[in-house]
Amino acid sequence: MDAIIQALLLIADPYVILLICLSSAFGLFVGAMPGLTATMATALLVPITFFMPPLPAMAVIVTTSCMAIFAGDIPGALLRIPGTPASAAYTNEAYAMTVKGQAETALGAGVVFSAIGGIFGTIVLATSAPLLAEVAIKFSSFEYFWLVCLGLTCAVFIALDDPVKGMLALFIGLAVALIGLENPAGLPRFVFGVTDLMSGIEMIPAMIGMFAIAEVLRIVAAATTRLPPARAISGSIFKGQWTLTKKYPKQILRGSTIGVLIGALPGAGADIASWITYATAKKFSKEPEKFGTGHVEGIVESGAANNAAVSGAWIPALVFGIPGDSITAIVIGVLYLKNIIPGPMVFVNQPAIVTGIFALFFLANLILIPFGWLAIKSAKHILAVPREILMPIVLLFCIVGAFAVTNSPFAIGVMLAFGLIGFLMEEHGFPVAPVILGIILGPMLEQNFVTSMIKSDGSFLGFFNRPIAAGLGVVTLAVWGVMLLRGLKAIRVPQTA
Amino acid sequence: MRFHDSVCGAVLLALAVFIFTYALTIPPMPGQQYGADVFPRMVAIGLGAFSLMLVFRGWKYSAPGTPWVAIAPWMRDPRTRGNFILAFVLTIAYVLLDDIVGFIPLGIAILMVLFVRQKVEWRKGAVIAVAMVVMTQFLFGNLLRVPLPRGILTGFW
Repeated sequence: MDAIIQALLLIADPYVILLICLSSAFGLFVGAMPGLTATMATALLVPITFFMPPLPAMAVIVTTSCMAIFAGDIPGALLRIPGTPASAAYTNEAYAMTVKGQAETALGAGVVFSAIGGIFGTIVLATSAPLLAEVAIKFSSFEYFWLVCLGLTCAVFIALDDPVKGMLALFIGLAVALIGLENPAGLPRFVFGVTDLMSGIEMIPAMIGMFAIAEVLRIVAAATTRLPPARAISGSIFKGQWTLTKKYPKQILRGSTIGVLIGALPGAGADIASWITYATAKKFSKEPEKFGTGHVEGIVESGAANNAAVSGAWIPALVFGIPGDSITAIVIGVLYLKNIIPGPMVFVNQPAIVTGIFALFFLANLILIPFGWLAIKSAKHILAVPREILMPIVLLFCIVGAFAVTNSPFAIGVMLAFGLIGFLMEEHGFPVAPVILGIILGPMLEQNFVTSMIKSDGSFLGFFNRPIAAGLGVVTLAVWGVMLLRGLKAIRVPQTA
Repeated sequence: MRFHDSVCGAVLLALAVFIFTYALTIPPMPGQQYGADVFPRMVAIGLGAFSLMLVFRGWKYSAPGTPWVAIAPWMRDPRTRGNFILAFVLTIAYVLLDDIVGFIPLGIAILMVLFVRQKVEWRKGAVIAVAMVVMTQFLFGNLLRVPLPRGILTGFW
């Protein structure tokens, strides 16, 4: 109870409220701007959150991500260009509604059901995370080893069409994590006499590179940076939303549930939740023939799912220190910078922070409705901001942001190198999210593996001696078996390049 | 530029071989069987195995006539190729020159070059560049106390 009161007092601080308002506006702008993603928005904010106390820093990230995921719907409906990948699944549907003169309903459904999905996800986060933490507190290096293996595997298994390239991306991330002194023996590895590499590759500049610089390079290399003009929204976006809520309760519940579950799986975030729930909406619909013609049902289910996934991704991040998506990968980096080690002990040692995060999610999803309304009404002006002006400014912020983390130009070099790696990987069909997971989870995997091997005197049977470890081990091995079969099948699939 | 999957696999295989060879030079932990060399070897083996799969898949199942290197459309167009190279080169220039020139002049120069390149009207570009850099200096340099290098403007404030 003390933690709840303390958390509410922290959030009621005018400084935090001001930050929430500013980050709402920032999240909505970035999300609505095609090419700028929610992850990029979060990565760009890290250098600023670096100078804030933990809870205001979390307020900025939570609010920005919730707003940005919804705002991706705006250009999707108005221009047929998704603002973020999480809106891509139903962009055609929303645009078809706009063509039919129902843009207000499409965008209204986006904002209302995003808020409902987000609140559902928050309830699941607030109820399940403390329970899981109580179990996780009993975990030893054996359980953590399997958990990390499972997390890394899930990221590749669930998220990707090409598991071979997914696994390679993961191993590239693990290879990056080898650099530096952070290993069980504390020996410098792969540093080649460069002092800046002793502490390993700084996570934040690497993420700014992969998620922001790679995107900037992609847009400047695009044939055109100009967006077509968007129409203004004049009617009420809330008209008819109550009718939709009464008509589609199952879809809302299913979308929110699937969204939060997918969000909680390491590596799979709002975009995958959105695609899957659009498919389930169509599969279980009484009117599947209407999908693709401007039918709101898929928007209701997917819109709820992508915001539910944002909250769901925080479950493994807070409880185990395993990121649920690329945004929580950045969050884990920010928490480490603030000397808060994500894991079950954070629920014991810093309960006010944890409760504060839950409260922030509630608040962010509630204020999504008025802020979302404002963003929709201003959409014409937001989308008129020229990207040829925006991209150089984003590049400048990336440079300053990377520098601010270590106050060293070396970090800018790291950012640029990872930006180029991210760009090249995407050009060649390699996903970048597993690289980040590999960088974050590599040290955790090595530490738990070596500690477990030393504890068990080099016997692999030690990994199956404890009941939870054995259970996790069996599940992991089963997933690996399925992956191996899938990998062998994928080899036989003719490739285009 | 897009390389054939087999070429990508071969490059990653070379990386795996390098990691494994390097790991052999890491001294073991005294009195312990498992030290700092174990994990790099495991990573190298995993990376090598999947690289081989990619090489094999590319070699065996690629569509006939797939080139080893295909030039991406953005590389063929001098304008988009120039934009890409410019963004890259300007960031490297910042890393090399920030201490000497300072954040404000370099920041304005970078923005101006990119704006002009993107055909933003130069007077509008100049106003935005100066405003953005001064705002960034105020936010990061003054409010957040990030020691952005002052370079040639050292001593002015």
